[in-house]
Amino acid sequence: MEQQTFYYDNKIVRMFGGATILWGLVGVLVGLLIALQLVFPSLSFNFSMTTFGRLRPIHTNAIVFAFVGNSIFTAVYYSMQRLLKTRMYSDLLGRIHFWGWQLIIVLAAFSLALGYTTSKEYAELEWPIDILITLVWVVFGWNMLGTIAIRRVRHIYVAIWFYISTFVTIAVLHVVNSLELPFSLFKSYSVYAGVQDGLVQWWYGHNAVAFFLTTPMLGLMYYFLPKAANRPVYSYKLSIVHFWALIFLYIWAGPHHLLYQALPGWAQSMGVVFSVMLLMPSWGGMVNGLLTLRGAWDRVRDTAVLKFFVVGVTAYGMSTFEGPMLSLKSVNAISHFTDWTIAHVHIGGMGWNGFMTFGMIYWLWPRLFNTKLKSEGLANAHFWVGTLGMILYAVPLYWAAITQALMWKEFTPEGFLAYPNFMETVTQILPMYYLRALGGALYLIGFLMFVYNVIATAKSGKLIAEEEASAPALEKVSSKRQPGESAHRWVERRWVPFAIFAFVAIAIGSVIEIIPGLMINANVPSISSVKPYTPLELTGRDIYIREGCYTCHSQQVRPFRSETERYGEYSKAGEFVYDHPYLWGSRRAGPDLAREGVKGGKMYKSNSWHYNHFLRPQDVNPESIMPAYPWLISDAIDMDIIPAKIRAMKTLGVPYAEGYDQLAVADLKKQADEIALDLKNNNINVAADREIIAMIAYMQRLGADISKSETVSK
Amino acid sequence: MAKEQQYDQETQHSKLMIDHDYDGIKELDNPPPPWLMMIFYGTIIWSVFYVFYYNIFDGPSQEDEYNTELAEAKASVPQSTFDETKITLLADAAVLSEGEKMYASKACDACHGVTNIGPNLTDEFWIHGNNIANVFKVIKYGIPEKGMTPFKDQMTDEQIQQLSSYVISKMKGMATANTKGPQGDKYE
Repeated sequence: MEQQTFYYDNKIVRMFGGATILWGLVGVLVGLLIALQLVFPSLSFNFSMTTFGRLRPIHTNAIVFAFVGNSIFTAVYYSMQRLLKTRMYSDLLGRIHFWGWQLIIVLAAFSLALGYTTSKEYAELEWPIDILITLVWVVFGWNMLGTIAIRRVRHIYVAIWFYISTFVTIAVLHVVNSLELPFSLFKSYSVYAGVQDGLVQWWYGHNAVAFFLTTPMLGLMYYFLPKAANRPVYSYKLSIVHFWALIFLYIWAGPHHLLYQALPGWAQSMGVVFSVMLLMPSWGGMVNGLLTLRGAWDRVRDTAVLKFFVVGVTAYGMSTFEGPMLSLKSVNAISHFTDWTIAHVHIGGMGWNGFMTFGMIYWLWPRLFNTKLKSEGLANAHFWVGTLGMILYAVPLYWAAITQALMWKEFTPEGFLAYPNFMETVTQILPMYYLRALGGALYLIGFLMFVYNVIATAKSGKLIAEEEASAPALEKVSSKRQPGESAHRWVERRWVPFAIFAFVAIAIGSVIEIIPGLMINANVPSISSVKPYTPLELTGRDIYIREGCYTCHSQQVRPFRSETERYGEYSKAGEFVYDHPYLWGSRRAGPDLAREGVKGGKMYKSNSWHYNHFLRPQDVNPESIMPAYPWLISDAIDMDIIPAKIRAMKTLGVPYAEGYDQLAVADLKKQADEIALDLKNNNINVAADREIIAMIAYMQRLGADISKSETVSK
Repeated sequence: MAKEQQYDQETQHSKLMIDHDYDGIKELDNPPPPWLMMIFYGTIIWSVFYVFYYNIFDGPSQEDEYNTELAEAKASVPQSTFDETKITLLADAAVLSEGEKMYASKACDACHGVTNIGPNLTDEFWIHGNNIANVFKVIKYGIPEKGMTPFKDQMTDEQIQQLSSYVISKMKGMATANTKGPQGDKYE
């Protein structure tokens, strides 16, 4: 067979690696700032772009898509060339992919800071960026599949199975979850409403964790861990079993984010059982990784790279054990809406994604630059500081979560909530928030050591931009399965059927779970007293989304005595039919707002209370950790956009009367005048066209419809 | 490296897969660990039972669970024997200091002192009357349309009586800079 010589493109690997480090640093810094804001609300600086509600999505997006995203592309571009014995399919596509992805990150940071958000977690970016993501993702897939097509190795390795499933599934998830109707250059409404939007969102959200933070990282592990340890992969058979089981089962598990909420029981059950069944496929990855180190454990002691991998893989095992446990309804009843979830994702983010990335780059950089790591000692120090930081981050949050959940649920012998004032349950856990910020700071210090070490390593060597390699050309063989060839071995050399099978595996759960939710109205019993929002309330709702209120306040009362006693009637699916997008939230740093507008209800506040509270929350509640929103009083409502909003909602099926878009502004002003007058009667002078008026109108509407009448019809 | 090869020879199930070489990475022919597969089969069986119990054989729904929880709570909470039609103004110093503590713990000040959201409780003007029965009623049932929170779900009737007594007898003249001006009718 003719031996061919070719060159690996290392430059693109360095580009993605460098971007990983840069954005990782930004993401961790923003994370530390928002952790500090939870104990020092004044760190919001009374400025819209630096409030928690806007920074939190910047933190999550920076970590998930910028840090981990660039990290997995680094792994893909380095490992695919070598596993397939070829240069990447196209240098140009690689560059478009790289710069396109960085452009998306920059646009994301700016647009989120400016308040352009869909409010759907990890899919916050607005429609123009969604389109850009789709295009760049296609470029990535084209380059990746093209590389597979021109390979010089017959069979594709397990790492690449994971890369293929990543490409296919993220494409499906992103397109389906991002379906939205634009009403302006930068804003849109989700085409789904209420329960359906929640179901689609968490099908997406959970599988973004699965197919962006997990499968490509497993691909990374399957290449870099055996390389660094110089040991054979423990079990090929386990790779097959856990790969297919993982991608087939993962896609179903999304509804576990909505347990005990206004979601049909059958969908909740799917979320529970598929999460529990995921335990083995997830642990399959951990076990195969850790057992690959058999016989190399003595070297784990002395090499930082292997230490990072061991703790990274172990953190993966811990969080994938915790995942199924948190999906049990009885556990979820305690953990959900608390910091438990935050701690859980940080074990995954800091431990699995972070440490695997650090390990990869510490191993990769000396090779790319033909030199030695500047300081093995510093890398070891990074490992210990990072590990300590992670523990100090997570353990206090677990403690805080359990403390707060128990306080929420505690009753006195007289049958009253022991802590009826939500604030008490926050004040109680603030010491834990200090410790968590300290943990985050330690993790950041480790990160800085990493940045220095990696830059110094690069400076001490020279980039081998073109790395020479050679391999025999791939001989043509029959595409038919050969005698003695196992079915799986056959599909490993047939990448098109492989990709199709992967698609089918993830499509089954998607179709069965999503389609009935969208098609069958029986899943959402309608409530006749639930009416569309008025133009003023809709405007307030859009401000609520813009300010990221949903990052701290849920709008979902679960059917527990402790919640109906604190907030009021539990939430019904039919209440959310006009909610494009749904705003149930996932965390209660502040109280639930689902029943905020029920007059005579447990949560109801006067207009003047809301005004004072938005302006200076600490006046009303000295210990409040909510930021102040003074610009809601200085900024006027954008009246010009109102007709377009009404038309968009009407297109999505919200029953506004024909031609109402032209009457909407007049209605808006009328309702605003009433609120301004009421404020005036309470000695508060504010113009009726201010944004705060819209926010108050929205607050006073929340959950109010259902109290008017209890008629539930099918 | 020799130590590692020796390790491979000494342990079972460590046959290399022939033909599997990906950039130098080799794979072993080990079966998946049996304990891991047992977990897998166990979770599948558990899942089948779970769905049958809750979704096919009509196990308790979350609404059923909620109703049960409410019924149990109702049975366990003692019924109040307080007669609010015969309520009296309390004057005992210990009782009034209890009332003062409750005024602080329920953060009444947030609306009636620190901010001017709620009416002034320190002058002679009362919107809803200033006898014990009126004040008791306002605190217990709230004034929903004006945003006064009902406290019936947070305090016993006895506690509300103590708080009402404190508000009526002890707060006169305690106005702060933010307290509202007079509203309602004058009561001597």
